[in-house]
Amino acid sequence: MHYIEVDDLSFHFEDEPVLQNISFTVDPSEFVMLTGENGAAKSTLLRNILGLLKPTKGNVHLATRNEAGEKLIIGYIPQQVASFNAGFPSTVLELVRSGRYPRGKWFKRLDKEDEIHVEKALKSVGMWEMRHKKIGELSGGQKQRISIARVFATDPDLFVLDEPTTGMDRQSREEFYQLLKHNSEVHKKGILMVTHDHDEIKKYADKQIQLVRKEGSPWRCFSMDSCSEHSKHPC
Amino acid sequence: MEMFLYGFMQRAFQASLLISLAAPILGLFLILRRQSLMADTLSHVSLAGVALGFLLGVNPTLTTLLVVAIIAVLLEYLRLIYKTYSEVGIAMLMAGGMAVALVLMSLNEGGSTVSIQQYLFGSIVTITSLQVYMIAGLTSLILLLYIFFRKPMYVLTFDEEAAFTSGLPIKWMSILFNLLTGLTIALIMPILGALLVSAILILPAAISLRLSKSFTGVILYGIGISLIGMFSGLVVSYYYGTPPGATIALIFIGIFIFVTVFKQFASKKA
Repeated sequence: MHYIEVDDLSFHFEDEPVLQNISFTVDPSEFVMLTGENGAAKSTLLRNILGLLKPTKGNVHLATRNEAGEKLIIGYIPQQVASFNAGFPSTVLELVRSGRYPRGKWFKRLDKEDEIHVEKALKSVGMWEMRHKKIGELSGGQKQRISIARVFATDPDLFVLDEPTTGMDRQSREEFYQLLKHNSEVHKKGILMVTHDHDEIKKYADKQIQLVRKEGSPWRCFSMDSCSEHSKHPC
Repeated sequence: MEMFLYGFMQRAFQASLLISLAAPILGLFLILRRQSLMADTLSHVSLAGVALGFLLGVNPTLTTLLVVAIIAVLLEYLRLIYKTYSEVGIAMLMAGGMAVALVLMSLNEGGSTVSIQQYLFGSIVTITSLQVYMIAGLTSLILLLYIFFRKPMYVLTFDEEAAFTSGLPIKWMSILFNLLTGLTIALIMPILGALLVSAILILPAAISLRLSKSFTGVILYGIGISLIGMFSGLVVSYYYGTPPGATIALIFIGIFIFVTVFKQFASKKA
């Protein structure tokens, strides 16, 4: 069973091809890193996968059920989420609690279990003490951390993360990767993460997918190499 | 306090109370969705609906509801086309609505220009019992919808794409929200006037945004400010004979300036 299955995907912006012949899968318990030089349309690929953009050709199949047969829940952190609407009237706690809503709580009160998840998520990013602050008053790094906390509070089956560690110091990054690794190994979560930190993350990722430009192509085309070997030979 | 002895003043206060409960909720979502001008557009378009009603000789409220519903849906479509410049559609329809209203009125030459005046500037003191009931229904609807859908709306407003990935039907939610805004404007426009209706929707929420740090807090403050502004506006307009809609709008702007200056002063001191 695949959580994400991309089959020969191509995507054009207007008439310009930006992604071509892309196929790969992300499975439960699998930590997949997606890399590529700047402008390699990594975010565009994620947005195609999530259904925010429609592929010009090919297919994306997202599982609708998780391994236990329940409705699959996705946790998405877009790029530069830290620049979110500064005037949005919400406390940190309100925002992170909203991460629990997709867990069947759109129309129900949050219960004890939800509150535990919220507290754990906020503590895991070191923002518990700041929970009553207005989100607009936080620094960029803090906003990034509460966005991560919100997704951890959701406790999704599939994480889709677009450069979530930009601007973090080395130690925070390591801790973040360890937390993700724990989630994939122990809790069987699928993870697809766009990242630039190739070297540090290799020891955590199960698979690397690299977007590369086709040689001699006049178009801005990218093809995809993937290697499923563990960490030693990343493309 | 002899003003409370008049039926029209009683109805005006009842309508103000009802509008104050609902307006800040819609207003806050309009502001956060960067659609605060949509209220203006829809009220201009409502005028076209009113003019159409007079021309066809049917109840203008009906034609207004119909026209506003169509435009509210069209606005969502335009918002999707001009994603990064979502105000383009709003500007286009604002001008379009006013133009259609003016052309329709000229076709109806010698007809009911007086009534059009009333819709343009509104008149809370000529409000009928039926209108009060309609607004009571509208306010109950908005409060119920808010209580029921506040979590999906919070997520939708915070980040539409995250809302989509968490499985919310964002397109339908947006369209229904626009429809509800249109319905509200069509019903309260004859009372407050097409030109001022958006002030009553937007200003209380805009002021309370500066006062509270939580989402629910902003709505509660907004209701309080709305009540203060509308009630004091009615009293002032009763004693000084000023137009009620304009008086209320000016009081809101006064409160806004006061709050802004006070906050500046307080933050300098701190």
